[in-house]
Amino acid sequence: MEILDTYYSRDEYVETASGNKVSRQTVLCGSQNIVLNGKVIVQSGAIIRGDLANVRTGRYCIISKGAVIRPPFKQFSKGVAFFPLHIGDHVFVGEGAIVSAASVGSYVYIGKNAVIGRRCVLKDCCIIEDGAILPPETTVASFMRYTAAGTIEGGQGNPDHVPPAMQDQMVDFTKSFYEHFRSNA
Amino acid sequence: MASFMLPPVVSYACSCGLINPITKLYFCRHCLQLRCGFCVCHEVDSHFCSSCLENIPSSEAKLKKNRCNNCFNCPSCQHTLSARATTVVVPKKVDDPEKGDGDDKEKDKVITRKMYYLSCLACRWTTRDVGIPDQTVASGAWPECEYANQTRLNAIMEYYQSVVLQEKQEKQDLWKRKTPKKHKYFSLTDRTGLTVSMIRRQMGWADKAPPKPKAITPSEASEEVDELPESIFTEPVNLKNITTIKQRHSQPADQPETVDNLFPQRKSLWIKRSLRCRQCEHNIIKPEYHPTSIKYRIQLFASYHVPEVRLVKCEQPLKAGVANFVILNFANPTMHDMVVKIIELPSEDEEALLIEEFRRGFEKQTSLTSTPSLTSALSRQTSLNEEPRFVDKRTTAKLEYPNVPFTVNHRDDSAEFDEDTQIQQEEPPFVIWRKSNKVSVKLGFTPDPDLASNDEVVVGFSMQYNYVNTVINTADRSEPQKHTLHARVYVKVGNITSESA
Repeated sequence: MEILDTYYSRDEYVETASGNKVSRQTVLCGSQNIVLNGKVIVQSGAIIRGDLANVRTGRYCIISKGAVIRPPFKQFSKGVAFFPLHIGDHVFVGEGAIVSAASVGSYVYIGKNAVIGRRCVLKDCCIIEDGAILPPETTVASFMRYTAAGTIEGGQGNPDHVPPAMQDQMVDFTKSFYEHFRSNA
Repeated sequence: MASFMLPPVVSYACSCGLINPITKLYFCRHCLQLRCGFCVCHEVDSHFCSSCLENIPSSEAKLKKNRCNNCFNCPSCQHTLSARATTVVVPKKVDDPEKGDGDDKEKDKVITRKMYYLSCLACRWTTRDVGIPDQTVASGAWPECEYANQTRLNAIMEYYQSVVLQEKQEKQDLWKRKTPKKHKYFSLTDRTGLTVSMIRRQMGWADKAPPKPKAITPSEASEEVDELPESIFTEPVNLKNITTIKQRHSQPADQPETVDNLFPQRKSLWIKRSLRCRQCEHNIIKPEYHPTSIKYRIQLFASYHVPEVRLVKCEQPLKAGVANFVILNFANPTMHDMVVKIIELPSEDEEALLIEEFRRGFEKQTSLTSTPSLTSALSRQTSLNEEPRFVDKRTTAKLEYPNVPFTVNHRDDSAEFDEDTQIQQEEPPFVIWRKSNKVSVKLGFTPDPDLASNDEVVVGFSMQYNYVNTVINTADRSEPQKHTLHARVYVKVGNITSESA
């Protein structure tokens, strides 16, 4: 199925020179600590907590409505410390998802209303299903699918859980999403 | 939402007749056929732990019973346990008690040491709950549970392993006796009938036969079962202390009944698979060994070789028996221009012919590989062939087949950075849009008149495309080969709109 055009109002979105499209109805705390590497879409209602630590995303990332990107913290004997959050290229973060991972690889699909606990590691080409809840410090390896039931399944070469051509699928999906995300003016 | 997370709209018929979206199909470059997950041999490529992402060689994986060395699952919720560090205060050992009588300062001195315990961050279970002492190192060194039946099972396993070994040896001996080796020169033993083992016996040496399996005492079933303990009738059951079925199954060796017997379980390993075509035995997918690598050494996905069909939209709401138009998008993933022609699906007779051809392909392959030697048959997994079948998808609409070929340009990764240069060319009337390697076509169709509201409307067609094979099979063919191939495509256009709407 080809992605249909979605239109946004010109007044709502800011487009940067590198092609990032960021809604004005977002909460970007500590914007000097947020790096969006180009062609990133941040939709309305999203929250990026750059005030806690650095947040860096790669190219062609989609941060959907109401998603929260929040750097993880670790508790030490003397208080807590926040760690920077890196997100790779071609990552989709679904609506209402909360991402508090230590790192998110490239070509990752995070379903809507998923909760990624603090200091999780999501490797390249993994899928987090809609509504899945990852406990803190979970590792999801490449070509693994974290289900809403809380199990991990898949593996590279297994055709049933994550498509074997996940990389191409995500590149295609995020690029065409960006191309079909148009201003209505 | 990405297409691979949704139910498939466009599906292709595999050569065996099963319907799959293109993301689950492979393309064998040697047979020039589509292959689904059932038409390929799945082989274990490498073992790895999904938690610590360490590659474990297959011999070690076998030795460790497919479990990771340093990762544990929570026995309560099966999530991964993580090591927590705590500082404990340990009184410093005084080296010389007699000497340090006078100064109390020395005596009171304590040192803090880092101790580790395992904790589940999903359900808050810790190793302290079941009284496992804290460790001084973060990973490894966790006590291994001893199970009651372990020695017995090990003895049985050892016994049967030696039985298998002996049987193998006997079979080999029989084989040797049946087909005596023909040497160019006769040896003394051939003429005299003396064998090595006979000579050894005459000389008083021990025979070289494998050791006889040590006999084990067979288990005996008894009818006597212990009486139920008194407490089971008198004490109230506290379900919080009883383990669930899932918890017991995750600890199969002892299957504890109460939660205080739960112990951390070593994490099972995962595998990377390589896939092999069952007809030509060429690799179709071969991933890199490294667990964190997402690359492939061989990757013959259908989406790299077969034009991808996508549904763009339908012109009007779908009504039974009312003519409509559908817009389909064709994308050429290869480096060569393709000529695509949309033709009618094969009739039942033609489909039967396809099935016959599929069967023949297997027979050819089995006659090639079936050799009398036992070893070759044993070394490779005997491949179970997928039974070909008729496509189990009914089209519920009549498509107007244009029967006119159209060209889909080759893929050019740099094209997206180029300026749009539209080369005007003679187009068939149904081609409505064209950009780099993509072409949109508009086709007329009529849903069957007997469809009720909310019924699925499925159009089907056979896509004829020319494919340039860059693999050179034989030495004399240096030019890339051109082939005309067919793929059966089924598109779920949508559902019939209800009358009220």
